[in-house]
Amino acid sequence: MRLVWKLLRRHISLPQFAGFFFANLLGMLIVLLALQFYSDVKPIFSEEDGFIRPDYLILSKRISTLNTIGLGSVNTFSEREMKNLESQPFAKRVGAFTASHYKVSCSMGIDGVAQIGTEMFFESVPDAFVDVDLQKWHFSEGDDYVPIILPKTYLAIYNFGFAQSQNLPKLSEGVVGMVEMTISMRGNGMNEYIKGRVIGFSTRLNTILAPESFIRWSNQRYAPDAEEEPSRIILEVSNPADDAIVNYINEKGYEMEDDKLDAGRMTFFLRIVSGIVMLVGLLISALSFYILMLSIYLLVEKNTEKMRTLLLIGYSPARVALPYQLLTIGMNAAVLLLAIGGLVLVRSLYMKQLWSVFPKMYDGSILPAIVLGIVLFAVVSLVNVLIIRHRINQIWKN
Amino acid sequence: MKSIHLDNTLPNVFLQRTDIESDIWRQQVTLEKGKTYLVEASSGTGKSSLCSFIIGYRKDFDGKILFDGRDSRKLTTSDWTKLRQSHISLLFQELRLFPELTAMENIEIKNSLTGFKTKGEIEQWFEALGIADKMQSPVRLLSFGQQQRVAMIRALVQPFDFLLADEPISHLDDENSKVMADIMTEEARRQGAGIVITSIGKHMDLPYDKILKL
Repeated sequence: MRLVWKLLRRHISLPQFAGFFFANLLGMLIVLLALQFYSDVKPIFSEEDGFIRPDYLILSKRISTLNTIGLGSVNTFSEREMKNLESQPFAKRVGAFTASHYKVSCSMGIDGVAQIGTEMFFESVPDAFVDVDLQKWHFSEGDDYVPIILPKTYLAIYNFGFAQSQNLPKLSEGVVGMVEMTISMRGNGMNEYIKGRVIGFSTRLNTILAPESFIRWSNQRYAPDAEEEPSRIILEVSNPADDAIVNYINEKGYEMEDDKLDAGRMTFFLRIVSGIVMLVGLLISALSFYILMLSIYLLVEKNTEKMRTLLLIGYSPARVALPYQLLTIGMNAAVLLLAIGGLVLVRSLYMKQLWSVFPKMYDGSILPAIVLGIVLFAVVSLVNVLIIRHRINQIWKN
Repeated sequence: MKSIHLDNTLPNVFLQRTDIESDIWRQQVTLEKGKTYLVEASSGTGKSSLCSFIIGYRKDFDGKILFDGRDSRKLTTSDWTKLRQSHISLLFQELRLFPELTAMENIEIKNSLTGFKTKGEIEQWFEALGIADKMQSPVRLLSFGQQQRVAMIRALVQPFDFLLADEPISHLDDENSKVMADIMTEEARRQGAGIVITSIGKHMDLPYDKILKL
C-alpha cells in the first residue's frame, strides 16, 4: 500500500486539491450555517405574543395628508362606529385604546442619577384584553409604581441601533424589567412623579401600555377636560381568518395592525433566505466536487500507464482505486470536521449576540446541522468512490 | 492450472491474411505445465500480442484461449486478478517497471501481493544477477540490461504455473543470460511450472521441450 501510494501520488496537483478543499469547506460551512442559523432564529420569529392573544385585532383609521393639515375626517372612532363594529357577526368584544392626554416624560437612571430621559405617552386597553397576571397588571390610586408593557421593537431599536452606536451595553428583557423608571406627569397645573416598571414586551402592540385604571385615574387628574374618543380599538374575533373581517375593514377604511402576520412573513422570508443561502452553499459544494473530480480524472489520466501495469502484475482494480478513494474520503472528512468546527465557532459568536437580546431564547442543538454535514459527506464520498472505481474499471478494459 | 490451449487463435490484424504459416496461429496448440517452450519469431509476427492475449491485457483475437479448458473470454475481473497473482507470470518485453521506485521497491510492490519470497531470497537473486549494488537505486537510472534483470526478479516473486518471458535477454551478455536462465529454470522447477520464452534471434540456452515458430 505504501509503495502503491508512493507511485500514485505522483502528479497530484497541490493547487487543484487545495482549491477543491477550500471551496468545499466554504460550501459545506455555508450549508451547515444556513441550516443552523435558520433553526436557531426561527423560534424568535414564531414566538407567541404573551400579552395579546392571536384572535385580537387592533384597528385604527388611515391617516391621510388631509388629516395632518387638519382637514378631512377625524381619525378617532365615534361611539356609533364602535357600536356598529360590535354588532358585526364576527366580533366578540370591542375595546378602546385610551391615550394619556397630559404630558408624560420618563427617565431611567442608576442611583437616582438620570441617564436617559424622554418624552412619552401611555395608552391602555380594557384589562380583559391584556393576557397577563392581574396581580402584576394592576394599579390603584396611591400605588408606588405603575406596570408598563413596551413594544418589543423599542428594545430592538435600542439594542441594535442606539446601544451599538453609543457603545452602551445591550439590554435584555430581563434587565429592562429590573430597571426602575421615573415617570413625570404634568398637566392641570400639577407636576408629579411615579415609578414605572416594565413587566413585559409585546410584539403586537405598537404602543406603551399601562393599566386602564391608571390611565383613567391620571387623565382625570391631569387632563380632566380632554375628549376621550379613541384613535385605536382592539377587537376580539371568533375567527381571525374570516374574510368578512377584511371586507368590513376595507369598506370602512380602517387599518389593521397585523404584527402577527409580520412574524409569519418574517419566518417565511427567513426560510426563503436560508434556503437561498443553503442553495448557494450547495452550489459551491457541487462546483468544488466538480473540481475534485476533474483533478482526479487528470491524475488518473497522468498515471494511467502505472495503474495499468499494477493491474497487469496482479493488482485488483479495487486495490488500485483504493489510494485515490482514501485520499478523497480523507479530504472530505477533513472538510466535514473543519466545517463543523467553523460552525460551532461562528454559532457561538452570533448566539452571544442573540442571547444578549433574547435571553429567554431556547438554546437549540447543532445536531441537525451535524447530521446534514455527515449526510453530505457520505453522499459526496460515495459518489467520489464510485467514480474513481469506474475510471479504474475503464483502464482495466483498456 | 495444468494447460493453456490455443484453439485456432489469430490476432484480428491478421484476419485478412491468407498466407499465414505458423506453428501457433490458426493451430491447436497446448502448452503444458512443467514443460519448456521456445516461441521463435521474426518481428511483426505477433509475439508480444500472444503474451498480451494470454495475460488478458488484449482481447483483439479470433479463436479461443483456454485455461484448463476454460474460455479466457469468460473470466471475470477477479478471475484475471487471481490468474495474474498466482498462475501466470509475465516478463514484459517493455519491462513495465516503475521508474520512480527503486529496484528493490519494484520487486516489493509485486511481492507484497502474495508475500511469496522473503527479502533474503530476493537479495540473493540481486546478488546472483550482479545488481546487488543497484537495489536502492531508482530503476530509471539503471541500464536497460540491468532493468531487464530487475524485471526478471519481479516476474519470479509470485507463485505461477506458467512463466511467460517476452524476449528476456535481448540486452544481456552471454554470462548474465546464463545466470538468468539458471535462476529462471530453477524457480520454475521448484514450482513445477511451465516456461514459455519468446525470442527474435538470440535466445536462452535451455533444454526446450518444444520449439514453435510463430
